[in-house]
Amino acid sequence: MVAETARQFEALEAQAQTLMGVFTAAGHQSVAPAIIQPADVYLDVIGEALRSRSYVFTDAEGEELCLRPDLTVPTCRLHLERGENGDPNGLYCYNGTAFRFQPTGATSAHPREFRQAGIEAFGQEDREKAEAEILALTIEALHKVGLKEWQLHFGDLGLFRAILNSAPMPKRWRNRLLHQFWRPEAFRAELKRLTKAPADKTQTLPEELAKKLVGVEEQEATAIVTKYLEDKNIELIGARTASEIASNMLAILADVNADPLSEKTARLIEGYIEISGPARAAGARLKDLMRDEGVDISKALDAYHRRLQLFSEAGINSSNADFSAEFGRTLEYYSGFVFEIEAPTLGPDSPIAGGGRYDGLLRMCGASEDIPALGAAIHTERLLSVVKSEES
Amino acid sequence: MEKSIELLARAGLNVQKTGDERGYRGEVAELENTDVAFISASEIAWYLKTGKAHVGITGEDLIREGISDYKTRIDFIKPLGFGFADVVVAIPDCWLDVRTMADLDEIAEQFRAQHGRWFRVATKYMNLTRTYFSCAGFSDYRIVESLGATEGTPASGTADLIVDITTTGATLRANGLRILDDGVILKSQANLVSSHAATWSPQTRQVLNEIISRLET
Repeated sequence: MVAETARQFEALEAQAQTLMGVFTAAGHQSVAPAIIQPADVYLDVIGEALRSRSYVFTDAEGEELCLRPDLTVPTCRLHLERGENGDPNGLYCYNGTAFRFQPTGATSAHPREFRQAGIEAFGQEDREKAEAEILALTIEALHKVGLKEWQLHFGDLGLFRAILNSAPMPKRWRNRLLHQFWRPEAFRAELKRLTKAPADKTQTLPEELAKKLVGVEEQEATAIVTKYLEDKNIELIGARTASEIASNMLAILADVNADPLSEKTARLIEGYIEISGPARAAGARLKDLMRDEGVDISKALDAYHRRLQLFSEAGINSSNADFSAEFGRTLEYYSGFVFEIEAPTLGPDSPIAGGGRYDGLLRMCGASEDIPALGAAIHTERLLSVVKSEES
Repeated sequence: MEKSIELLARAGLNVQKTGDERGYRGEVAELENTDVAFISASEIAWYLKTGKAHVGITGEDLIREGISDYKTRIDFIKPLGFGFADVVVAIPDCWLDVRTMADLDEIAEQFRAQHGRWFRVATKYMNLTRTYFSCAGFSDYRIVESLGATEGTPASGTADLIVDITTTGATLRANGLRILDDGVILKSQANLVSSHAATWSPQTRQVLNEIISRLET
């Protein structure tokens, strides 16, 4: 990697000061969370993939640690440590280094060490208002350091959840579709399976055993499974109990008797996922789709429109904003509104800022329950390079 | 190592140890200016990755495990027809409701609710496991590094499932384990491998060609 010049260093520092000035003026308290973080929280949130994307290491006492891949989790942890005796609310901002392993080699757009400037807002009950504020503050900061041209992309996992909830289907199918949403291909396969033949799955169970389990209660099922294992001379090893195995088999078998997902519901879900385009037009299409399929998700739709309204009140030009139902599919831990801001010169693979809502993250970091939380982070080196190229 | 030496000998390349009996160095009588290093299997990947060796003979599994961007760093020149081993995902045979990676993914959340932790996967193939699991869309697990007797870890409670090598599957069966239907990560064997990181002169290139042509005949 090319070493940073003194001039670049000074320009970045000056830019960071401006960004932080905007954040603190809006009431966000400046914090400096620890660079070295316990790997545990990240492993829980991101999974083992963390190890292939971050710097994870073991210290002399055998504790697994990592160099923070972002500042959101560290800020959540800092908030919880400070707030042990009270206030769930907190507005924070930061400017600091984050570290990511780049498997195909580090480049200037994808360095292994980069500085993030960002904001977090915890405990705010008015969801759309908080979302519009975070976005508006991010854009204000970008403008203040001289960014002129940008495009906003956003998605909303809350809408998808509302649509799933509105459609008639067993709860475990809903969970399965929600779980697969992150992987478009698997999602389409799952949707097809549920529409065509939800019973397919039972073919994976031992046939003679499956026959015996039809229509029995959980306790009896456990006894049948235990006997089957004994007869077949299969030892029950590991943490899963016979009753866990039996109860999952019953859930699988329940699919046999369930009606397939209706064509109508499949059309609704597919229709939703295809929606993408300018925010206002996408909103209108959403409304049309719900009307055509006779589905009521007015609460989620109202939230969508209220958010757009608040965007425009905050001075965000909605012609700069694209909604995509699929957006956010690849981003971990977001639970609702999610956005990225890109510059035309860098393109969608290297957004200059991004953020959204992650109501489950504080609980994953140790809070006793979900706490409304959202934030945004700016990739400051990218921002500087775009602003410089706009100037020249 | 013995099998590599035999194979080279059959190709008319006689590897001899130099120095005392316990030496880790050798030479090939038929090839001038060639040093042979006798090193442990895992070190071979490192020698090739860093260019400390021009060519090596080692298992494909160890290359793919030890060198994350192996495609850009080394060439697999020729599979050598020995050292066969499959890297597989194996689960307790008593999990009658699980046959595929997708089944595993489906019960992961439920398992966590019940036991307060993700599935633990014991393996020494951390990178192969991560890559394969991620392609299968399975992310709700934690790796427990295991450097020996991996197949015993589900029974002992250290792990819930394993990723390990097997040749006949007998050891897995003896430990109450079963390979997932889509659980073969890699069918590995010994390979002749060359390093991109090493400095290649016309002379070293010539030696490699000589080795290749002798192995082909």
